[in-house]
Amino acid sequence: MGASQALAIERLLAEGLASAGKKDGVLLSGLGARLRRASELPAPLEAPAALPTALAPLDRLLAGGLPRGRLVELSGPRSCGRFSLGIAALAAATSSGLAAALVDLGDHLDPQAAEGAGVDLRYLLWARPRRVREALAAAEMLLGAGFPLVVADLGLCARTRGTPDAAWMRLARSAAAQGAALLLSTPWRASGIAADAVVSASRAHPVWRGSGRAPRLLAGLASRLMLEKLGRATPGAAGALALSVPDVAPSPML
Amino acid sequence: MRLACVFAPLFPLAARLRSEPDLKGEAVVLVEGNGNAARVVAASRPARRAGVDAGMTLPQARAIVPKLLARARDRESERAAQEAMLEAADAFSPRVEDGGEGVMYLDLEGIPSASLRKDGERAFGRDLISAVEKTGLPARAGIASSKLAARVAAGLPDSPWVVPAGEEAEFLAPLPLARLSPEIEIAETLERWGLRSIGDFAKLPPGEVESRLGSLGRRLHASARGLDLRPLEPRLPALCLSEGLELEWPLVALEPFLFVGHAALERLAARLDGLGLACRRLELTMTLDPDGCDARAIALPAPTRDVKTLLTLVRLELEARPPGSPVVGFIFSAHPDQARRAQLALFGPPALSPDRLATTIARLAALLGADRVVSPRAADGHRPERYAFSGFEPPPPPEIARPLRGGRGLLAVRVLRPPVEIEVVESPGDPGGRPARVRSARGAAPEIAGSVRVAAGPWSMEEGWWSDAPAARDYWDVELSEGGLYRLYRDRASRAWFADGVYD
Repeated sequence: MGASQALAIERLLAEGLASAGKKDGVLLSGLGARLRRASELPAPLEAPAALPTALAPLDRLLAGGLPRGRLVELSGPRSCGRFSLGIAALAAATSSGLAAALVDLGDHLDPQAAEGAGVDLRYLLWARPRRVREALAAAEMLLGAGFPLVVADLGLCARTRGTPDAAWMRLARSAAAQGAALLLSTPWRASGIAADAVVSASRAHPVWRGSGRAPRLLAGLASRLMLEKLGRATPGAAGALALSVPDVAPSPML
Repeated sequence: MRLACVFAPLFPLAARLRSEPDLKGEAVVLVEGNGNAARVVAASRPARRAGVDAGMTLPQARAIVPKLLARARDRESERAAQEAMLEAADAFSPRVEDGGEGVMYLDLEGIPSASLRKDGERAFGRDLISAVEKTGLPARAGIASSKLAARVAAGLPDSPWVVPAGEEAEFLAPLPLARLSPEIEIAETLERWGLRSIGDFAKLPPGEVESRLGSLGRRLHASARGLDLRPLEPRLPALCLSEGLELEWPLVALEPFLFVGHAALERLAARLDGLGLACRRLELTMTLDPDGCDARAIALPAPTRDVKTLLTLVRLELEARPPGSPVVGFIFSAHPDQARRAQLALFGPPALSPDRLATTIARLAALLGADRVVSPRAADGHRPERYAFSGFEPPPPPEIARPLRGGRGLLAVRVLRPPVEIEVVESPGDPGGRPARVRSARGAAPEIAGSVRVAAGPWSMEEGWWSDAPAARDYWDVELSEGGLYRLYRDRASRAWFADGVYD
């Protein structure tokens, strides 16, 4: 928009507001009636309720948990704890009696381990697509079915260029339309501007018990979560994520 | 006993128009026979207005209306239309007799809506007509105490027509004898006797009629007096619902078939909806050209009546296995089942809508395969890749929301199914075979390569030594230089190395 056009619109707006002030109770008419300053736009409705993941670092970064009606993207390299976060979110939802869906590209779920982590498998729908395209379509269908939480895990797939931006927008809109929380877990930043919140996980540091020539034992994994985007909030907040191996006493390093 | 008769005028044509609703409002005739010998059986109102009538040959009719549309009688459409009528009547009375050819009788005894309502039976008749018309058929109704009187009343204009109880004989008396549909021999006899109307016949003494005309004559005489010797025979509900069409020309492509199939599935879904049922299993029978038929059965993961879902499943089935010959007719048969219902909780988390869930699962099953949309279950054993599953049928949510439990922050493993075969360079001098360097085969997914920073193991796992496929493995947890944390194992039998999990 040129400067002259902007000025003209500003003038129209001022006239419209002025006439409204003079004639109290008279509605604005014409173009002025349809123009408002950005600062006068209604504030977004109160923040939608969140689905806590029961993992303090992630819930803190997302101001309470996975926001309903929003797409949250969690990206990070291999072994950064992404999958564990998805399982934790599913455990929190299903253990409180909410139905949840896992779109598992790559067929990575271990039901025994998930049950051990607190997932109530009876409330979990497990969709196992073979391609990214199928995964997105499945996630959209599951959102449309009314699942309050959908975790779409794109596994370890290589970066693909074939997914159009519109596909991510459709997913975000489906989540918004249904008021569902959508956690998209990807090895690379995928959803572009469609995500309402983006959290990246840094490369993790495995924690081992034992040193020197003594036998080692994997005790857990330490990673760092960074908030890259959350609505209008300023990004940059970070939190430490510590995950321990089941049946192994937590390491003092975690 | 009070009875209602519902009658669909020009039933064969009405049934055809129900299957092809686009023809409504057009000049259409239904013909029997082939070529120039084809005769008009029934004509739509626009055709009748132009002068076309039943009994004409098709060339004669086309001479009057050049753009006349002609269709052959379709027994499948008529059967489906008759079923749809009967199902509509089931909502009004538990005892419905199938009179065939667009006719049915309902027992009104004890039906409160017929006796207690203001305007009683007439209002009941109006509701009945309205319900049948919703199935796509025109309808008229007559109410009387005998089938013949009700049937005759249903044929009169200004429907519904109610014959007051006890006045059936008076109502029938002025009608010609042909209304009784007597056998030809009996009709000739009655004519020789000089009888012209039903009333004339009804005046004869019953015993004399029976002695001369036998049991058939006795039944006719009772009908003429407004009595039914044969009781109403209620039909048994059908085990499955069917809709189909005999096509005017063979179809060889999928899209045109789905186009006509869509309309049939919509009719089927409407009938299921009317019964409060859903489709658990869909069968498709196709008549092929020049002969033969092809039958398919499509099992649905959950009962549904969503046309889009059913059509998608049909599309996938036919894309996977085309019929191989042109299709000249088809029948969809739905095996009904109760649709799932959910009780909403006041204080608990909301339940999923069973109908939407069933539809979604069916669509996902069509997209991914039925065994890839499941509810996971823990399986017995020690192999990490094991799993079990069942259909997703979540229990009702708790009545009061459960408090959130604190997260345990457990590290999960991404299971690699199937395991990725890798080449491992073992540490020299280590008798345990500690891996020192790892590389997956070219093209394997995910790609795994790097030198081992830390390795923990081995942990032995043995399972199924008694079976044909025993597993004996030595497991290692390894941290690679590229940052990944993997679970590797060496198969003791083949000595080959695999990666079967990524800690993530």
